[in-house]
Amino acid sequence: MSSGFRAMHPAVALLYYGGLMLFAALLFHPLFLVTEIAGLAGLLLLQGQGRQLLRGLPFYLLMAGSVAVLNPLFSHRGAHILFYFWDQPVTLEAVLYGLMMMLVLLTIFIIFISYNYTVTTDKFMYLFAAAAPKTALLTLMALRFVPLFQRRLRQITLIQRLRGIDAGQGSLRKRMQDGMTLLKVLLTWSLEEALQTGDSMKARGYGIRKRSTYSIFKLDRLDKGILLVLTVSGLIPLLGWLQGYGILEIYPRMKPMEFGGGEVVMYISFCLFVLTPLGLEGKEKWLWRSSRQSAYPSVIPEKSGTRSMSSHSQ
Amino acid sequence: MLLGPSGCGKTTLLRHLKRELTPVGTGSGMICYKGQPLAELPAEKAAGDIGMVFQNPDAQIVMDTVWHELAFAMENLGYPPSVMRSRLAEMAGLFGLEPLLYKSVHELSGGQKQLLNLASVLLLQPKLLLLDEPTSQLDPVAAREFIQTLHRLNEEMSMTIIISEHRLEEVLPLADRVLLLEDGVLQASGSPREFVRGAGDVRQAARRAYLPTASRLFLALSPEEELPLEAIPLTVREGKRWLQAYAASGQEVPAAGNLQHAAAVGQANSSVPAAPLLGAREVTFRYEKDGPEVLRKLNLSLYQGELLAILGGNGAGKSTLLQVLSGLAKPQRGKVDLAKGITTGYLAQNPLLYFSFDTVIEELRHMASVAGLHSETAQPEIDRLLEVFQLQQVLESHPHDLSGGQQQKLALAMIMLLKPAVLLLDEPTKGLDPEAKSRFAGLLGQLLDQGISIGIVTHDVEFAARYASRCALLFDGSITAEGRPSEFFSSNYFYTTAVNRMVRDILPQALTIEDVMAAWHVSAFRL
Repeated sequence: MSSGFRAMHPAVALLYYGGLMLFAALLFHPLFLVTEIAGLAGLLLLQGQGRQLLRGLPFYLLMAGSVAVLNPLFSHRGAHILFYFWDQPVTLEAVLYGLMMMLVLLTIFIIFISYNYTVTTDKFMYLFAAAAPKTALLTLMALRFVPLFQRRLRQITLIQRLRGIDAGQGSLRKRMQDGMTLLKVLLTWSLEEALQTGDSMKARGYGIRKRSTYSIFKLDRLDKGILLVLTVSGLIPLLGWLQGYGILEIYPRMKPMEFGGGEVVMYISFCLFVLTPLGLEGKEKWLWRSSRQSAYPSVIPEKSGTRSMSSHSQ
Repeated sequence: MLLGPSGCGKTTLLRHLKRELTPVGTGSGMICYKGQPLAELPAEKAAGDIGMVFQNPDAQIVMDTVWHELAFAMENLGYPPSVMRSRLAEMAGLFGLEPLLYKSVHELSGGQKQLLNLASVLLLQPKLLLLDEPTSQLDPVAAREFIQTLHRLNEEMSMTIIISEHRLEEVLPLADRVLLLEDGVLQASGSPREFVRGAGDVRQAARRAYLPTASRLFLALSPEEELPLEAIPLTVREGKRWLQAYAASGQEVPAAGNLQHAAAVGQANSSVPAAPLLGAREVTFRYEKDGPEVLRKLNLSLYQGELLAILGGNGAGKSTLLQVLSGLAKPQRGKVDLAKGITTGYLAQNPLLYFSFDTVIEELRHMASVAGLHSETAQPEIDRLLEVFQLQQVLESHPHDLSGGQQQKLALAMIMLLKPAVLLLDEPTKGLDPEAKSRFAGLLGQLLDQGISIGIVTHDVEFAARYASRCALLFDGSITAEGRPSEFFSSNYFYTTAVNRMVRDILPQALTIEDVMAAWHVSAFRL
């Protein structure tokens, strides 16, 4: 199940999500934020992750919505007072700022959903290993232990219940004691095994020279092209931001939204950055749809009129 | 090939041959690799040229995915990516690991894990391969596959392999040289057939436990005969051929009727079925709501004083069945009936799960208090069990410092403190050497004499044929065949003991060497 954007080199994903996070933090402007949310939601839908998105939605809306509601209650900055709530002024600026914060939060949430789907542990470790090989190795080994320990603990709990050690029953004190005993069994067992793991590592020459890394990812022409597109289209909004474009000023006093030429260029470039993966994903979709219609495109021309297998099946 | 009882120093010897793992201690003498002292080899050569695979398939794995585990050894030696890529491709092809390449390691079966360990070591292209009981934790099918892979490496790449093993039936015929180690001293060395002939000597009778069945039968039937070395049978095929020649050469062919008589005498006491102590009625079990049915409408009964062996392939649900029978897992449908006033004791495959204290005696005392025994009544009970299980010497040791067999005995002793009337044992003979196995069988016999009923699940056909009073086959979630060993196995064609496969034409009911001997001697007396 890896095609389209997911099949790209991890570096592409890193640049993309890194850029998105940066823009979510820097570009404090509703248009940019909404574009980012819409683009990512579209990407997730194209990848068939709509259900995943829906499942998390209530939680994210609740979290982000509460920020929007709470901000005007706690912040009283701003010049336009709408009304008084329990003798506290509620200002237009604070309401708008709260809504903006909500958008930022939603953007970050959706970035993480998409990131989790696209950047698997493998890819993350690959990127991480390039930066810190030793730490990456340790992390990988530790990651293996999480499910392993869970499975072992389940076995231990089952068996130790036979001898009256059960963390689910009895007084709080006994339960805590029993829980510790179970953990002790797990640790003794695992440490014992870790000695063997250490032997096995040593036997295979660990630590006798600098390690190289084997990678299952290849940086091909498409990857390089996309990297270039993302870099260029990402740099333009960044430069725009340095010039002061793309920022909505709310505090201390709201300023009218300007949308001049500079902002238009910046927005178009930003759209290109956000929507590039969507294009990749869409191309993949289209490729399969069109190839289904024409069966397998072949150089051998299909004779019309003869009853070949393929024409029969259609 | 390296033979010898547990604790005779096989592992220590192998570790001495692998420089990185040489045990700490005082040593004398010298080990040379290609004429160069092992200690003076460059580190990379030592790591790469001598590969080693250990006993426990799980503990050797370092990484979490298959491809990463394979690459681990090569990464350590700093190979460039292109070399790694081509070697990995080659090895994945050779071992058929391609479909598993991106899988997480814990999804693999034990056999696959051990193959992965072997492949990872082989990627360094070693000249010498050391294996320390590599198949002791595997089921017979996976073990055979593993050994065949080794055989292929040996034949096709002419790789030198040193293996220590308890599974003799398959390995001994393939070996070029057999070494017997006892108490750290090399007792015998020679070709497998020379070894068999040496064991034929009356003074060396203890060694016979290490021979494959065909050779043992050969020695049992004609110990005094002097045959050319090539005629000594090692495999079932050779054994059958020799037996036919032997039967044709004037010896009276025993009548099958004698054996049935002999077998019936031995099993007369278990022929009256009383009410079952433990019964499962149409039990259906699955682990998860949407998971597959592990047990499906299964019926099984366990009667007073019997040893029931439940056999079945890998993943057939044997362990699950025992857990359901012992009440640790609740079936979704059906019922497990236990006769009134009795309890069951369950021994899992891994005895380490039972230990939580620092010494053996503490473990037993704690268990006694759980069982509700007062400290005055508990002590004699513990003493009695210690004697039965021969654990007096290790009272103050840490349970993890015991040998595998002792750990198992300790776990069993702890369960016996609960005074169960029914014992349920999960693969108790796994990884035991032949001698320990027969001692364990003796132990089970003692427990049976005390009126305890025992149910075991096992892969070990020979063990079941020899000691069980009833056998059952678990397949597709239910019991498909059931019966006394003689009937159960003689109706099978493949799934039966080596002896039965050899003598099936002459004595279809004989399962063990003793059976054959009995039949043969009865007919000899009649002459």
